[in-house]
Amino acid sequence: MGKPQNITLKEAAGLIQDGQQITFGGFTIWRRPMAFVYELIRQGKRNLHLLEVNGGTHSEILIGAGCVSIWESCWSGHELYGKLGEMVADRHVNGGMIVEDYSHGHMVARILAGAYGLPFFPSAQSLGTDLLNPEFDSLGRAGLRDGSHPKIPRKKYEFAPDPFYDRGELLLLPAANPDWAIFYASQVGEEGTVRVNVQTYADAEVIKAADKVIVLAEEIVPESYLRLEPEKNIAAGYAINYLIKLPWAAHPTGSQGFYDVDADFIRTFYRASKSQETFDRWADEWIFDIPDHERYLQKLGIGRLENIRANPVLGYSTRQKRGTR
Amino acid sequence: MALNKLSVAAYSYSPMDLLAVAAAREVRDGDIVFTGTGLPMLAIMLAQHTHAPNSVCIYEAGSIDGRPLDLPTSVGDARCAYQSAVISGLTETLYGQLHCGYVDLAFLGGAEIDKYGNVNTTVLGDYNNPLKRLTGSGGNPDVNSQARRTVYIMVQEKRRFKEQVDYITAPGWRIRKWPGGEYVHRREVYGKYFRGGVEAVISNMAVFRFDEEGVMYLDTVHPGFTVADVQAHCGFELNVSRVKGETLPPTQEEIDLLYQVIDREGIFLP
Repeated sequence: MGKPQNITLKEAAGLIQDGQQITFGGFTIWRRPMAFVYELIRQGKRNLHLLEVNGGTHSEILIGAGCVSIWESCWSGHELYGKLGEMVADRHVNGGMIVEDYSHGHMVARILAGAYGLPFFPSAQSLGTDLLNPEFDSLGRAGLRDGSHPKIPRKKYEFAPDPFYDRGELLLLPAANPDWAIFYASQVGEEGTVRVNVQTYADAEVIKAADKVIVLAEEIVPESYLRLEPEKNIAAGYAINYLIKLPWAAHPTGSQGFYDVDADFIRTFYRASKSQETFDRWADEWIFDIPDHERYLQKLGIGRLENIRANPVLGYSTRQKRGTR
Repeated sequence: MALNKLSVAAYSYSPMDLLAVAAAREVRDGDIVFTGTGLPMLAIMLAQHTHAPNSVCIYEAGSIDGRPLDLPTSVGDARCAYQSAVISGLTETLYGQLHCGYVDLAFLGGAEIDKYGNVNTTVLGDYNNPLKRLTGSGGNPDVNSQARRTVYIMVQEKRRFKEQVDYITAPGWRIRKWPGGEYVHRREVYGKYFRGGVEAVISNMAVFRFDEEGVMYLDTVHPGFTVADVQAHCGFELNVSRVKGETLPPTQEEIDLLYQVIDREGIFLP
């Protein structure tokens, strides 16, 4: 409790133990704690259980580097900049990682239950689909739903009748309470108050659901500034355990108000992710051959960063050429 | 029926333009529309600029009734949020808007669709030993299952229009009642949460709709294609008994709006 502890990126990544369950803030290619993902890879983490509301470039990089043995989510890809999550696809087809599919609404329900201290959350979404086919319960098939794994529920889902208003059978989705949430914030106050700009995704829920929370802050700002408009904040400092100040920490994903998605960078990664060999070369160049975040930014160069820097009024870049006209 | 290629209007338009325009025409004025990235964004914006100025757009990542100055490239984009009525997150959009029943119309896409409107975006082949993994469900089945009407935008290929999809990611009209897995009408699975379902499928060749039994039929054929062309690019025997004629081509005004106002940067319409 109290204020978060200031910590370096290396120290923070060192806290994550092999085999633990982790989750991330952000949405697809937005506000992902990329610098942390790179550091987990440098430190050679293995057998992570990545449970997330949705995947994206960060999941693809972590999975491609061999850090993840279980992935529970609903989607992986790079939006317009790479239509398929090639690494999730490779592991699903060729083995090497357990893939457990839910829908987006199901994953939100699971994190929501976890955030609110409930064992499950009811939903009428995505009924009648193969997401609920008992033959496709991957963790069950792997024998991991025997109750001996504290982060893995004994069932993928359950149906129960509405006992109050006779609305029929509802789907109950088990709570998710990951060991760690790793989270990128737009601004954090000196006492740890967290603000994210524009869409909030599932960020507030992710913070509350996890046992411990590491925040990478684009900016540390005076508490008094964030407290002028508390309705824009999503968490109090006591909900955060560790804090890292790290500008551009979400690159190549976008951070509203600070920088846009680095479309070319993600396109290049996507092409590299189509085989393990080209992925490994990409990872050498952008992760293993770079000792830290500062050197990563130097390698990107000022021109590239200026190109994606957000217009402060609009919150997105007006310099990056996006289409053909 | 004979579809005359000469009926193509004198000005030019691409297959993408026609898709966007045909999709836009599915919007009714006043609709609350849940929209994904890409072509659906063009469709809702075009509808708002033309016949449906009172329609409202919700983007899954959290923006509700935004009025973007610049075309977003993702539903998570800050561009979606400009001048929105409410800015929020996934709990609000998926439960506070969708689950509670606000959404009239959804625009979605898929890799495979079958004659009951079941859509697959998860795997080709057996899920436990797949030939190919696709993106996964995302919000596709959530949105489809709770919007009153859903319109799918698809590429017309034999391997994509199948008798039966390999994996039901998003529910059509005939789906499986779990935990038993028997195939029943969608209404039986959703019970009091039944609000509607897949209303139309728009491909680069035609528009399809669904009969009282929830079986797909051919509704209109795009200019330049014949019923035989569509059947040749469909993996099951199509009901062609209800074909109304040719899909209306885009008007010059619609083309101008798409290229000069909505996608003036050439992002989805190069």
